[in-house]
Amino acid sequence: MREISLHILDLIENAIRAGATVIAIAVEEEPDQDLLCVAVEDNGPGLPVPADIAADPFFTTKEGKKTGLGLSLMKFRTEQAGGSFRLERSCLGGLAVRATMPLSHVDRSPLGDLAATLASVVCTSPGVELRSRLRVGTREWRVGTAEIVRGLPVGGRSEIAVARRVKEQIEEGLSALQVSK
Amino acid sequence: MNEKIGSPQDLLKLRAQARSQVDLRGGPKEAQVVVHMGTCGIAAGARDIVSELVSELDKNQVQTVTVRQSGCIGLCDQEPMFTYTDKTGNNFLYVKLTRAKVREVVERHLRRGEPVEQYIMKGDAT
Repeated sequence: MREISLHILDLIENAIRAGATVIAIAVEEEPDQDLLCVAVEDNGPGLPVPADIAADPFFTTKEGKKTGLGLSLMKFRTEQAGGSFRLERSCLGGLAVRATMPLSHVDRSPLGDLAATLASVVCTSPGVELRSRLRVGTREWRVGTAEIVRGLPVGGRSEIAVARRVKEQIEEGLSALQVSK
Repeated sequence: MNEKIGSPQDLLKLRAQARSQVDLRGGPKEAQVVVHMGTCGIAAGARDIVSELVSELDKNQVQTVTVRQSGCIGLCDQEPMFTYTDKTGNNFLYVKLTRAKVREVVERHLRRGEPVEQYIMKGDAT
């Protein structure tokens, strides 16, 4: 995967297939400490196995498959960039995946197109609530699909309309906070 | 919900509002495109396929097609791909897609009903 946003998309798709209905995405920067933290949390059933087994590329929960590359690829890319990768229990009740890495590391993947990533989820999985949080130091920007839906007229809440708002608001947040690319 | 329910009519009105929202956001339509978004699909460009597809449907005012996602179907070397199910229930598995191919498929198949044979995988893969 060439972007951190694509890893985020992969984690979101995992969560949806596990039955999650609420997914929280956080992209947080600590410029003073040269740190980037990316987290995806959900209200799904959580991990069926210990964390070290879940990140094994030859472990999967899918029937008929022998590999599960998503988590292991993200772990590899995070550690390659000098970072740490953790699987924990989320306060939402399901899984929390957290990747923390030095912002300026030469091997850090670019964030990529986060706005298109989240919009694509809204279009293809409209029943899922997304809660996104961007933070750079003390400045924060939140975008939530539930708030966006409530702000649209009842006749204008198609998934395409919601996705367009999500894309616009995420792009606005990335620009306003000057999130690293 | 902030409004107080004062009568059965209020309740029926709320029900109608909620139902219209559910229909608009996730209700069945005439046809469906399922984009395969397993790890392999995402790595191969499935997100761009969704973006292009939605943009083309929006631009051309195609409101009879629902876009949904699913996981890997075991044909990772053919990604990115989507399955189009037309209004008669026939499945067409479009493989090795690009943004340009998506535009062509939307125009020729989803709008005019003419399958783009050269991009369709043959057999029982769907």
